[in-house]
Amino acid sequence: MMHLVTGGSGSGKSSFAEEQILRFGEGRRIYIATMHPYDQESFARIDRHRAMRSKKSFETVECYTNLEKVQIPPKANVLLECMSNLTANEIFEPSGAGPKRAAETILCGISRLMDLSENLVIVTNEIFSDGYTYDKETREYQEILGSINVRIASWADRVTEVVYGIPLEIKTNEKIVE
Amino acid sequence: MNLVIGGAFQGKVAYAKETFRIMDGWVDGAVCTEKELENCRGVFQFQEVIRRWMKKEQNPVQKAEELLLKNPEICIVTNEQGYGVVPVDAFDRRWRETTGRTCTLLATKADEVHRVVCGIGMVLKGGK
Repeated sequence: MMHLVTGGSGSGKSSFAEEQILRFGEGRRIYIATMHPYDQESFARIDRHRAMRSKKSFETVECYTNLEKVQIPPKANVLLECMSNLTANEIFEPSGAGPKRAAETILCGISRLMDLSENLVIVTNEIFSDGYTYDKETREYQEILGSINVRIASWADRVTEVVYGIPLEIKTNEKIVE
Repeated sequence: MNLVIGGAFQGKVAYAKETFRIMDGWVDGAVCTEKELENCRGVFQFQEVIRRWMKKEQNPVQKAEELLLKNPEICIVTNEQGYGVVPVDAFDRRWRETTGRTCTLLATKADEVHRVVCGIGMVLKGGK
C-alpha cells in the first residue's frame, strides 16, 4: 500500500510517518533521505531525524536526485522523506532534472518504488497557504511540488494531513484502515 | 486547556469566546506580561508569546509546559503558520518550526483542539 503524509512545518509528520512504518510489522525498513546537507542548520535537522529513527531499525539510503536509480531491497517497508527536498533538489541542483522535467522524474521514481516495495510511506509538505507572493522561481517550485502532491495523492491508498500531531484522514481505503 | 488554531483572520477569537463561553479575561500574546498569561482565561496571538520567549532565549516547549501547570484552564488561540515556503530569515525559520513543535505539545495536553477556517470550527480532538 502507499500512504501519503502531509502537513505544515513542525507538525509531527515525520514521527507519524515512522509510526506507520512500524505498524507494518517486521520486514526490512528502508529510509530514503533526501536532504542534501549544506550548512549547520541542515546537519542539525538531519541529526534530529536520525535520533528519532535510531531505535526503529531503519536502514538509511541517501537519494538527492534521480529517485528512479535508488537501490533498495525488494518487498521492504519504505519511508521516503520528503517531497519538498527532493523537488527542490531536482529543480535547483546541478545533478537535477531541472524545472521542466522535475515532476516527471520524481513521479517515475515513485512509481518504481511502489512496484518494488511492500509498503511505501511518503512525506510531503504543505507550503502553499501563507498568502505571501514569492518570486517567480519560488512560485514555480510551489507549482511543481503542488502538482506532484496531487498526483501522488491520486495514486495513494491513504492520505493523511498531520496537524500538530493529530492525524486528519483526507483519503482512506476502508480495507486498510482499521 | 483548550487549543484553537487556524490561519490569520479566520475569526478564531470570536469562535473561541463563543464555543468555550469565555467573554472576558482575554490577553493579547503580543503584549501581555508573564503574570497576565498565568492568570488570564484566554490568550490570543499565542505565536507572539512563543516569539517573545525565543527572543529572550527561553525554551518555548518548556515554558508552555510550565504555563499549563500554573494556568491549567487557559484557552489558547494561535495562528497556524507552518503552511508556507521556508522563510529566508533564520530567526523566522526557527520561529515557524518552534511554533509547530510547541503547538504539537499543546495539542497532546489539550482537552480539546479546534481548527477554525472561515469562522467555522472543526473539532480535531475531544469535544462533543
